Amino acid sequence: MTGDRPLELVALEMFLLVLLGPLVTGLIQKLKARLQCRQGAGILQPYRDLTKLFHKGTVQADTASGFFRSIPVLVLAATVAAGALVPVVRMGPPAFPLGDAVMLLGLFALARFLTAIGALDAGGAFGGMGASREMTVAPLVEPVLMMVVFSTALAAGTTELGALAAHRGTSWFLAWGAADFLGFAAMLVLLPAETGRIPVDNPDTHLELTMLHEGMLLEHSGPGLGCMVLASHTRQIVTLGLVAALFFPAGPVGGTGATGFLLGAASFAAKVLVLAIYLALVESSYAKLRLFRVPQYLGVGFVCALMALALRIL
Amino acid sequence: MNLGSGPNLMVACYAAGACSCLLARWSGRLALGVAHLAALAGAVAGLRVSLGVLLGAPGRTLTQPIPDLFPFARLSLSVDGLSAYFLLVISLVAVAAALYGPAYLRAHSPDAGPARQAAQALALNVFLGCMALVCCAGDALTFLLTWEGMTLASYVLVVSDDRDGENARAGLLYMVMAHGGTALLIVAFLALTERAGAFDFAALRIAASGLDGMTRTTLFFLALGGFATKAGVVPLHVWLPRAHPAAPSHVSALMSGVMLKVAIYGILRFGFDLLAPAAGPLPSSWGWVVLAVGTVSAVLGVLYALQQHDLKRLLAFHSVENIGIILIGVGLAMILWRQEGASGALAAVALTAALLHTVNHAAFKGLLFLGAGNVLAGTHVRNIEELGGLARRMPWTAGLFLLGAVAISALPPLNGFVSEWLTFQALLGGASRFPGPAGLVIVLSAAMLALTGGLAAACFAKAFGVTFLGRPRTPHAEHATEAPPTMIAAMAWLGTLCVALGVAPGYAMRLLDAPTAELLDGATASAVVTARGPLVLSTALMPPGANATAISMTMVAALLIALTAMAWVLRRGVRRAVPRTAPTWTCGMIPTARFDYTATAFAKPLRLVFEALYHPRREVTRETAGTPYVVQRIHYAGEVVDLAETQIYHRVEREISALSQAIRARSTGSIYGYIGFVLGTLFVALLLVGVIYG
Repeated sequence: MTGDRPLELVALEMFLLVLLGPLVTGLIQKLKARLQCRQGAGILQPYRDLTKLFHKGTVQADTASGFFRSIPVLVLAATVAAGALVPVVRMGPPAFPLGDAVMLLGLFALARFLTAIGALDAGGAFGGMGASREMTVAPLVEPVLMMVVFSTALAAGTTELGALAAHRGTSWFLAWGAADFLGFAAMLVLLPAETGRIPVDNPDTHLELTMLHEGMLLEHSGPGLGCMVLASHTRQIVTLGLVAALFFPAGPVGGTGATGFLLGAASFAAKVLVLAIYLALVESSYAKLRLFRVPQYLGVGFVCALMALALRIL
Repeated sequence: MNLGSGPNLMVACYAAGACSCLLARWSGRLALGVAHLAALAGAVAGLRVSLGVLLGAPGRTLTQPIPDLFPFARLSLSVDGLSAYFLLVISLVAVAAALYGPAYLRAHSPDAGPARQAAQALALNVFLGCMALVCCAGDALTFLLTWEGMTLASYVLVVSDDRDGENARAGLLYMVMAHGGTALLIVAFLALTERAGAFDFAALRIAASGLDGMTRTTLFFLALGGFATKAGVVPLHVWLPRAHPAAPSHVSALMSGVMLKVAIYGILRFGFDLLAPAAGPLPSSWGWVVLAVGTVSAVLGVLYALQQHDLKRLLAFHSVENIGIILIGVGLAMILWRQEGASGALAAVALTAALLHTVNHAAFKGLLFLGAGNVLAGTHVRNIEELGGLARRMPWTAGLFLLGAVAISALPPLNGFVSEWLTFQALLGGASRFPGPAGLVIVLSAAMLALTGGLAAACFAKAFGVTFLGRPRTPHAEHATEAPPTMIAAMAWLGTLCVALGVAPGYAMRLLDAPTAELLDGATASAVVTARGPLVLSTALMPPGANATAISMTMVAALLIALTAMAWVLRRGVRRAVPRTAPTWTCGMIPTARFDYTATAFAKPLRLVFEALYHPRREVTRETAGTPYVVQRIHYAGEVVDLAETQIYHRVEREISALSQAIRARSTGSIYGYIGFVLGTLFVALLLVGVIYG
């Protein structure tokens, strides 16, 4: 397998994702603002928000249990750990096995489960509402996402993301079959759901009608909230990295040293940029769906994923 | 000490425990104490036997004759790798149950009379002993006798807990279903013993090798029906969510965590050993049927669990789900076994996944049932809507329950994830091996498994959140106290297993070597799954890329710990101020427990999404004061039906009732009429015999 990634590179990539996560959010916000003919905040705004949060004190609900304080820590840790499983600047499996796509989805699910637990802890109706809705949408997204992963994995014979990317190689655009197009279409449907954006969720409001993820964060404050927000930035960029690894892992293969690293980072940035523009466009051109329309919306993704799988196997 | 005496020692311990019921004449509490102590000793003896066989020389079988009780059959115990593995699972949970039992029974039913205590002391030991002996049985008769003993003892335990009608009805349903299943098993066994002329498994194996395909498949499905009833496979599961919660909690842990696994043992013993053809793959219908019922059970089990608000009942439905997951692995192993090409390794992955999920489910389901027992003993309430806020009152119970919840939801880094990961890998490999519709079925089964995992997480977010978090909703919850140390210790033992099997599963693979090698003619778990050392789990999905996918639970756990430490520093913030506390924001109203999300509300979106499967009933009535604008009171009643119950069982019940009514209309009460019927039947029977044999 080409380009075995040493563990220091994996760690470097992981922290790179954490550092760049807020930038992607800032970029999407800026793009949305421009599309809506607003000036919008600068793309560095999420960093300013995070700095502000980490400088604040904490107010905690008096009904919350001892688990509440550790929830943001664990959520952030699980999300960042998922970041270690995505190839960023170089393809190929890591030098020592860590985890595969199933593990990545599992770590995301762990973070989501803990977030829901934290939301129920304070004992307010909003937290419960957010948790209930999030835990309704998640089980519907997960199987479809798993099917998309499988549709690619069946071609490569592995679910390890680095190896998957390496199998697709640099000339991916020549080798895309019908199954890849359908799988990618399914992924585009799932992407807003997995990153918590319109038409499934709305990250900009705390309005009761729209709240899924935001509803669960209401009782967190100060550095705790900072951890939760950083975790959702990280989750977004890791999800985009997953899409890139599954469908267009173009990047210099085997290029070691500083040039290889920089080229890889640049190509990763370009891919993430394209997906971020897609998310901003979708958010600006659609309205949020009613909660009970979401299963039908995800159904479109399911059908695409099913057809992708069928084409791959039959 | 010689291992050969191990089974005797184990049986002696359980027998002594059973005899301790005589002590109840003097003191019921003493009887229970001695019974649980003996059960603990029996479990430890069982652990010793099973580890001795599993870690001993490969292919070793421990055989032990039993004194001849019947003139027509030789009885014996025979502990091979498969038996030893299931004995290990039983003994691991039995240790926890024996530790847990005395304090629980004291706290939960302090006013129990000596008769009840004697019955519990007797039944617990008979139950444990019979479960262990079913797995160690070396012949059909021992198997059936201990199987029946297991059913009867567990029935006694189910009806022993509270003296209300609900338990008795649950027990009756359990009795009927269990005996229906046992009847199928007896037919399957008798068909073999008739041909073999003997009862021991070795003779049955030889007799089965001469069977033609049709008979072989019929016998397998008879046995599968019998075992599936015991395992609680959909649609034969209806007794399970009633009977398991009715028993005392440590017995629920045994029934859900272990007794169902005895049925899995039976399926493996029949499918891969007794009925397997001497060469060539198993008939393809076996594996596909097992895979299909496994998938359906997994999805329906978790969907129904989601709508349960009785904590123990919810857990019981999750057992249906997990048995389904185990059967997915078993079915896949049956499909892939002895297929041409490199399927041997893949079958081993599938079987490893199933066997690993067996011990994993025993650990986390045992843990969760014991946690539910702590809640029950502390509050005397099973309905989670009446609980809440227990995490501040029972912190140890809450922490351990959360651990079990993460494990059962198949979330890394705990053990549930490991076996589901292996199942996913096996399914993916299977799909690539069968191009065409068959492969698509396998991949859909994988998608259903992913759905199951997601729904389980939703269910346990609900169960844990509504029970342990927020504010107490009733005085029961408000006055709850932490459970005594022995009960916590029993939970901690199972919690440790969950963590160990999750973080370092590679070391447990050695224990799976003997059963996998025996069943699959040589391909061992550790050779396939831990080919790259105990820290790495790897599978070969396709022949060219050997060991193509590899993960390391240990590395991921270490990464999580390191990142948690870093995030903790971040969490303390720049100012490091002491957190202030304030009431939860409820839009300016005074927060009360009624602001907490209830379990019904939490599960409502999924209830609507899966409406077609639930047929939810909802009745809302308003009491108004004259004008519709002044509402005085609102009554809400909601219910979700089990489709299997309404669509199958109620229909059958109606048909049987209608038939009985029809027969009753014919019964005139005249003795001549009845004699006429008897003679007529005799005539027809003789005629049939004459036609067939004449």
